[in-house]
Amino acid sequence: MKQKINAVLKYLRKPQNIILLVMLIVLGYLTIVPLITIIADTFTVHSSEVRAIKGSKAGEFTLYHWKKMFASGQTSMKVFYEPFWNTLKIAFLSCMVAIILGGTFAWMITRTNIRAKSFLSTVFVFPYIMPAWTLAMAWLNFFRNSRIGGAPGLFTVLTGIQTADWFAYGLFPIVIVQGLHYAPFAYILIGGILRNMDANLEEAASLLHAARFTIMRKVTIPIVRPALLSTFLLVFSSTMSAFAVPAFLGTPVRYNVLTTQMYRTLNGMNPGYGYIMALVMIVIGVGILMVNQWITGRRKAYTTVTGKSSNIALVNLKKARTPVTVLFIFILLVIAIVPLISFAVESFIMAPGDYSFSNFTTEFWVGEGRADIANSEPGILRNKSIYTGLMNSLKLSVVVSLVAGTVGILAGYAIAKKRGSHLATVVNNITFFPYLMPAMAFGAIYLSMFAVRRGFIPPLYGSFALLALCGSVKYLPFASRSGINAMLQLSGEIEEAAEIQGISWFKRMTRIIIPIQKSSFLSGYLLPFISCMRELSLFILLVSPSTRILTTLLFQYNEKGWNQYANAINLIIIVIVVSFNLIVNKLTGASIDKGIGGNS
Amino acid sequence: MPKIVLKNVTKRFGKFVAVDNLSLEIEDRSFITLLGPSGCGKTTTLRMIAGLETPTEGEITINDRVVFSSEKGIDIAASKRDVGFLFQNYALWPHMTVTKNISFGLENLKWPKDKIADRVEELLKMLRIEEFRDRYPSELSGGQQQRVAIARTLATGPKVLFMDEPLSNLDAKLRMEMRTELKRLHHDTDSTFVYVTHDQLEAMTLSTKICLMKNGLLQQYANPLEVYRNPANTFTADFVGSPNINLVPFTLRGMKLENSDGLRFTIEMTDGSTVPDQEVILGLRPEYIQIAENGSVNGEIYSSLPSGMETIVKVKIGSLQLNSVIFGDGDFNVGDTHAIAFPGFYNLFTKAGERIGRCRIREAAL
Repeated sequence: MKQKINAVLKYLRKPQNIILLVMLIVLGYLTIVPLITIIADTFTVHSSEVRAIKGSKAGEFTLYHWKKMFASGQTSMKVFYEPFWNTLKIAFLSCMVAIILGGTFAWMITRTNIRAKSFLSTVFVFPYIMPAWTLAMAWLNFFRNSRIGGAPGLFTVLTGIQTADWFAYGLFPIVIVQGLHYAPFAYILIGGILRNMDANLEEAASLLHAARFTIMRKVTIPIVRPALLSTFLLVFSSTMSAFAVPAFLGTPVRYNVLTTQMYRTLNGMNPGYGYIMALVMIVIGVGILMVNQWITGRRKAYTTVTGKSSNIALVNLKKARTPVTVLFIFILLVIAIVPLISFAVESFIMAPGDYSFSNFTTEFWVGEGRADIANSEPGILRNKSIYTGLMNSLKLSVVVSLVAGTVGILAGYAIAKKRGSHLATVVNNITFFPYLMPAMAFGAIYLSMFAVRRGFIPPLYGSFALLALCGSVKYLPFASRSGINAMLQLSGEIEEAAEIQGISWFKRMTRIIIPIQKSSFLSGYLLPFISCMRELSLFILLVSPSTRILTTLLFQYNEKGWNQYANAINLIIIVIVVSFNLIVNKLTGASIDKGIGGNS
Repeated sequence: MPKIVLKNVTKRFGKFVAVDNLSLEIEDRSFITLLGPSGCGKTTTLRMIAGLETPTEGEITINDRVVFSSEKGIDIAASKRDVGFLFQNYALWPHMTVTKNISFGLENLKWPKDKIADRVEELLKMLRIEEFRDRYPSELSGGQQQRVAIARTLATGPKVLFMDEPLSNLDAKLRMEMRTELKRLHHDTDSTFVYVTHDQLEAMTLSTKICLMKNGLLQQYANPLEVYRNPANTFTADFVGSPNINLVPFTLRGMKLENSDGLRFTIEMTDGSTVPDQEVILGLRPEYIQIAENGSVNGEIYSSLPSGMETIVKVKIGSLQLNSVIFGDGDFNVGDTHAIAFPGFYNLFTKAGERIGRCRIREAAL
C-alpha cells in the first residue's frame, strides 16, 4: 500500500505528468462532452420543435431529425442532400484551384529564376491573412448585378455589361474566392516541401539522362505526392467547413451548403437538423485525418531530408523572366490590393452603384446618422456599437491567444516529454480534435452545453466568458502544434542539464526552454490572435448584444444590406490583422505563415 | 591522352570566389581525389565538371569534347555529359524499389526490357544486393543504400565517375570495407574516378593523384606519396598525414638552424644545394622523431598514447612539443626523460610557408 502511494507521489512529482492529467480531465470535458451532447441533441425534441413533432414534449427521445434528414424524399433532398452535394463540389473544386495556383506559384518561387521572390512571396500570403470573406465582398463590390436586387457593382457601372447570375453568385465565384483564399495555404505547404526536398534527387535523375519533363513526372511529383495529397485533405476540410464565403456569395441565389444550412437550422426552428449536419462534417473530418495518417504511414512514404546542395540549378526563364515577373505582380496586386481599394471606395459612396464624384460622402465614417438612411445609424467612427465591437474583438482575441498559446506551450512540453506513452497520445489527439469540428457546430454545441449550470460553472449564455472559452478550445490545436514542434526540436538534454543542477521546473521553463524557442512559441500566440480577430462562424451563434464583436457586426450590417458599414468594418479588421502580423513579425520574427508551415 | 581538362575555371557566388582560376588535367582511368577542408571549393569543382553547376569563367573538356566554355557559350546539360555521380547522401529515390532505382537510367536510354533486366541482375550480383531488390530505400541500412547508389551510378556504364564524399555517412568499420571495394571497383570498371573528400587518409589510400585545394585555389596536384614526402607548402604538409607534421620555426644561418630555446640542428640539403640565411620553418614528420639510445638531445615525455601497433608520443624538447610515432607495442611513463634521434628526411619551408627543399639533420644539440 505504502509502495503504491509512493509510486503515485513519484509520478506526480514530474510536472509533465500533472500537466497531462489536468489536460486529460479539462480538455476531455471540453471536447468529448460536447461531442456526446451533440449526438444526444440529434435524438432530442427541442422546445422550438414541439409543434412540428406531433404529440411530443421537449426533451423527449425522437428519431424525427434523422428520418427527416435522410429518408424523407423531397424534404431530405432540400435540407440535406442538395447542400451536402454542393459542399462536396465546392470543397473539391476550390481545393483544386488552391492547389493548382499555390503549387504553380511554389514551383515558380523555388525552381525558377523569377524576379522579386520575397516581395511576391509576401504579397501572395496576404489573402490568407485577411478574413475569408474579404475576397467575397470584393467580388460582390465588383460583380454584383441588379437582377438579384440592389445596385450593380463597379464592373457593370464601368462597362455597362450586366454580369450573369452564375458569374456573380453561387458555385463559380465561391470556388474562385475560396480557391484564392486557400492558395497561399497550399503554397506554404508545397513550397516548404519543394524547398526541403533534396535537390540531389533531381540531379541524380538528370545525370542518368532524364529530360526535365521526365524528372518532373517520374521523380519530383511522385516524391511530393504524399505531401500534396495531405495538403489537399487539409485544404478540403477547411473549405468544407467554411461559412462566410458561401453565406455572402451563395445565399442571394439560394445556393446552400452544409454550413449555411446549419446556420439557418441552428439559428431557427430545427436545431436537431443542424447537429446532424455538424456530426456529418465531424465524421468527414475524422475520416480525412485517418486517410492522411494512412498516407503518411505507408511503406513508400518518407520524410523529406534536407540535402547538402540547396542551390539546385534554377529553370532559366530567359526572355520571359521580366514579363512573367510583371504578370505575377499584376495578378497579385489584383488579388491582394484591389479588394482593399474597393472596400475604401464602397464605404465612401452614398447611393450604392453610383460612382460619380458627387455621390461620395463621409457620412458612413463620421456622420451623426440620418433618419433616411440605415435607421439613423451613426458613422463608423462615431458609432458606439462599433466601438464596443472593436473593444470586444480585441479583448477576446487577446484572452483567447493568451489562454490557447499558454496551454499550447504546456501541452507541447508535456506531450513531447512523454512522447510514446498512451496518455500523451490521448491528450495529443484531444488537443487536436477541435480542429476537426466545424467552427459553427462547435459554437452551437457550446451554446447548448453552457446554457445551463454545469457543475460549478454557472450558466454562461450570452457572456463574454463563453466566447473566450469556445475560442480558446477551438484554437488550441494551432498553439499545441507549434508547441509540440518547438519542443521536439529541442533536445531533452538541454532541460536535463538544468535539472541536474537542481533548477526548479518553473525556472527551467521561463529561463531556458521558452527563451530558446521564443519565436515558435510566439507563433503559437499569434495564430490564435489573428484567427480570432477574423473569425465569424465560431462566434456567430454565441454573441449577445453586449458581446458583439466586429465580425458579427459586419455580418449583421451585410444582412441588412448596409453595404457601406460592412465595407468600412472589413477595412478596419484587415488593417488590424495585417498590421499586427507585420509588427509581430518585425519585432520577433514569428509570423503567421511560419505558423502554418509548422502546422503541417 | 588526358580525359578531363579544366582550363582557368572560376566560379563566383556573388562576391564569394568558390573556385579561383583552376586548371587541371585528369588522365584516363586515373583515380583523382579533390582534397581540402570544408569550403575549399572541391565539391563545387566536382559539380561543375558534372554539369550540376555552371562555372563563371573557363573551359571544361571531357574526352576531347568541350562540355563547357564561357567564351564559346557552350554549356552541355548534365544529362548529356555521360558521367556518373555518387552523392554523399546517396539520393536514392524513396518512391522506387532498388530494382527501379537501378533501371531508371537505362530506361531513359531506351534500352530494351530484357537487356535492362540482365544489366540490373548483373549489378545486383556484383554489389551483393540481390536479396534487397524489391525493397524501398527506407528499408535498407546505410551500407546497403550505398551499394544501391553505386549500382545505380554504374548501370549506364559511364566512363567517368564522380563521387562526393560517398563514405562520410558510414560508420568507421563500413567505411574501411567500402574503401577496399571502391579501389577494386576502379580496377574492374576501367573508368576514371573523381572523388571528393576532406579525409586525408581516404585520399592517401585511394587515389592515384591528389588535388589539394584551399580557399578555391589549387595547392598541389601530385600522387599521394609525393604530396606526403614533398609537400608544396606548409598547408599541404599539415593537411596530409596523421598525427600531424611538426612545423617548427627556426633561424637559418650557414646551414645551421637554431630556435629561441637554443635547439640547434646542422642540416644538409638532399640535393647538395645551400640555402641563404633567413627565417624558416622545418617540417618534421612524427615517424622521423625517434626515441633512441643514440639520440643527442634529451626530451621529456608529455603524453603517451599506445595503440598496440604503434604509440603516439608527445615529447617536450625545451619549450617545444613534438609529435612522434614509435612503432611496435610499447608505452612510456609521463615525465620520463629519453634521448631523441632525428634519423630521417625533413622539409624546409620559407617563413611564408613555401617549400625550399628536403634535408637531413646531421647534428642536433640543445
